[in-house]
Amino acid sequence: MRFGDELLLRSSSLVTRGVRIAVPPPPPPPQRTTMPVKWVLYWQPNQGSTVSTQILNEAAQCVESINGVKEGRWKAALNYYKPMLRDQSTHPDLPRDFLGISLADQPTKYYFLIRSQRLVVEADASIQLIMEKLQSYKSKVSIYFDGFQYLLGDFRLRVGRVVPVHSETIRGIVMEVEYLPISSMEKARKVMEEFVEIWHEALSKTSLSGKFVNIELNFGEFGLADTYTPQHTGVQYAIVMAHMIATVQPAARG
Amino acid sequence: MQSLQQLQLLQNPTEAANSQSELEAPPKQVAQAMERLNQAARVIADIRLGADRVFEAFFLTSHPRTSTTDTSLQLLLKEDASMRQHLHDLRSIGKKLEESGVLTESLRSRSNSWGLHMPLVCPDGAVVAYAWKRQLAGQADVTLDDCRLALKAFTDQKRRFFPHIDDGVKMESRSKKHRASHSLLEHGGEEPFDCKTLPDIQSRLEKLVPNVKVSTYGRLSWLKRANSLPGSGSDDDPPEASKLVFQSSSKLRSGLEAEVADKVAVIELYVPSVFRAVVSLNPAGSVDPDSVAFFSPDEGGSYLYSRGFSAHHVYKHITEHASTVLQYFLGFGTGTALYSLLLWICSFESLFSKPCSKCGRLLAMDKKSALILPPLHRAYQELPLAANLDVCEAYHGGCSPDDS
Repeated sequence: MRFGDELLLRSSSLVTRGVRIAVPPPPPPPQRTTMPVKWVLYWQPNQGSTVSTQILNEAAQCVESINGVKEGRWKAALNYYKPMLRDQSTHPDLPRDFLGISLADQPTKYYFLIRSQRLVVEADASIQLIMEKLQSYKSKVSIYFDGFQYLLGDFRLRVGRVVPVHSETIRGIVMEVEYLPISSMEKARKVMEEFVEIWHEALSKTSLSGKFVNIELNFGEFGLADTYTPQHTGVQYAIVMAHMIATVQPAARG
Repeated sequence: MQSLQQLQLLQNPTEAANSQSELEAPPKQVAQAMERLNQAARVIADIRLGADRVFEAFFLTSHPRTSTTDTSLQLLLKEDASMRQHLHDLRSIGKKLEESGVLTESLRSRSNSWGLHMPLVCPDGAVVAYAWKRQLAGQADVTLDDCRLALKAFTDQKRRFFPHIDDGVKMESRSKKHRASHSLLEHGGEEPFDCKTLPDIQSRLEKLVPNVKVSTYGRLSWLKRANSLPGSGSDDDPPEASKLVFQSSSKLRSGLEAEVADKVAVIELYVPSVFRAVVSLNPAGSVDPDSVAFFSPDEGGSYLYSRGFSAHHVYKHITEHASTVLQYFLGFGTGTALYSLLLWICSFESLFSKPCSKCGRLLAMDKKSALILPPLHRAYQELPLAANLDVCEAYHGGCSPDDS
C-alpha cells in the first residue's frame, strides 16, 4: 500500500466523522450481542471426599502453572424465589422452581429462569428492587459465588466457591471457562473439550481428588441459539446448582 | 544516520557537491533514500499529532460552552489546513521513494548498483539499512557490538519473513520443483485456469470452498464496512450499513468492467463463526497481494485492515505466519501469488476442528508465547495445484516441520 494513501484514507474517515457530528446526535450504539463461548463446570469430589477452600487454592496454583495471569475477583448471586400466597392450594400452577441470577460480567442485568418450563428471561438489575416492593415473590434461599479470575491467552478462567448466604460453609466449587475469540458454541466445542482435558492434566499433578464436570445441555429447549449469550450462562448456573445439590455432599461444619 | 552521511561526504566529495546530477551514484541514492525515510517518519508523527488536534477541534465545536463557535471554527480550519499540508508532503516523499525503488520490489531490479541495495522496508515496518551492509563488509568505522546487532537483526528478519531462502542445495531443488508447479498452473495443467483476473479467482474459490464468503471492496468502502461490523461499537445499525456498502459495490459492478477492476483493493474472506481475513491488493485493481491479516468474526472497527492486528492471540499468530507465507508465494514471481494465498487462507476453515498432524491434538501449549493455541500453521508448499484443501496439514507452532 502506498505510504501516504493509507493515512489519507484514515484522515478522510476523520473528516466524514466530523461531518456527522454537525448533525443531531445519533442514537446510542446498539448493545454488543456477541459474547465469547463459556462453559460452567462444577467440582465433583471423589467418593468420600468433601469440598473445601483447599480446592480453590490448589486450583489457583494450577492456573498459574499453565501461565495464567490473575485478573482480580469476581462474584455472582443466585436466588430461589417462592410465591407469597395466602392460600397455597388455590394456585397449583405457579412455578416452584423460579430462579433469579445476577452474573459477574453483566452488572446491569438480572436473569430469571423457570427450569420446568424451560424459560429464561433477561431483565434490568433494578427488577430486584421492584420485586421487593411488590412482595409477590420472596427470595427464600440465596447463594453467593465468589473467587478469582485468570487470563490464559485467549482463555478466561473463573474459579469460585459456592456459599449459601449467612453461612461460612462451602457448598461447592464452580469454574467458568471462556474462549474469547469466538461466540459459536458448536465451533468452540472441540477447543473447550481439549482445554478441560489440559486443565485436568494440570490438576492431576496436585493432591486433589475429584474432577470438574461439564453438563451436556440442550440449549435449544430454552429457545437459545448457537451464538452464545448471557442467557446461556444463566441456564448453565441453574442446571449446575441442581446437579450440585443432588450429588455433592456439603462440607462438614466446624 | 549522521555518521553515514558524513562518510558519504568523505568518500564522494564530488558527488555530494553535485546534487543536481540526474544519474547519481548508488551510495548517494541510498543515502537520499534513507534521509527521505526519516523525513517520512517525522511527517507521519506530525500527522498523528495533527489527528489528535483535529479531534480536539471537533470536540470543541460540539461543546459550545467551552469556547465560542467562532474560535473553534478557526481552530478546525487551521488544523484541517495543516493536516492537508502534512499529507501532501507525505505523498510527495512517498512518490520520490517509489521512484527510487524503495517501497516497491527493489531487490531484484538493482543488480547494477555496485553490489549495493536500496533500503528495504519490511512488512513489519523495519528498515534494513544500507549502513548495516557496509558495517558487515567492514568498510565503515564501527564497533564489534554494532556488527553483532546488525547481524542479529538481519538473521531475525530473514528467519521471520524468508524462512524458505537458504544457502543449502536441498532448498534450491525444492524451490525449483515448486517454481515448476506454479508455472504449470499458469499454463493450464489439468484444467485451463487463468488465475490472473479477480473474477476468475473468485469463481474458482466459490467452487472449491463454498463455505468461505469472498467479497471485494475498494479501500474506502472497506473502511466503512470495517467500522460497521458488529463489535466495533459504532453508531450504525450493522445490517443496514453493510447493506448500503453492498448496494454501492454492486452499483459499481453494473458499470464498466474495467472501471470496477480498478477500484478493487481489498478482498475479505469470511468463514462464519471461524475467522475473517483481509487481503490488500497493491496497486488497486491488480492481482498482487501485499499484506494479509486475520481477525475474529466478532471483531469490528477501523483497525480491521490488512496491516492491523486482532485483539486475540490466535489470530495475531496466524497473521504473523501468513506474512511469511505471502512472501513465499510472492517469491515465485509467476503472478499466482493471490490465488495461492487465498486458497491457503481458506484452509483455515478448519482452524477450530482440525488437530495437529504431528501430535494429534487440537490445543497445545506454545513454548515461545506460553499460550494454549490450536494449530496455527497450515502447509503451503503443495498449493496451488491441490485438488482440495485436505492436503493442507495443520501444525502447531512447535510441531511444524518447518521449524528447526
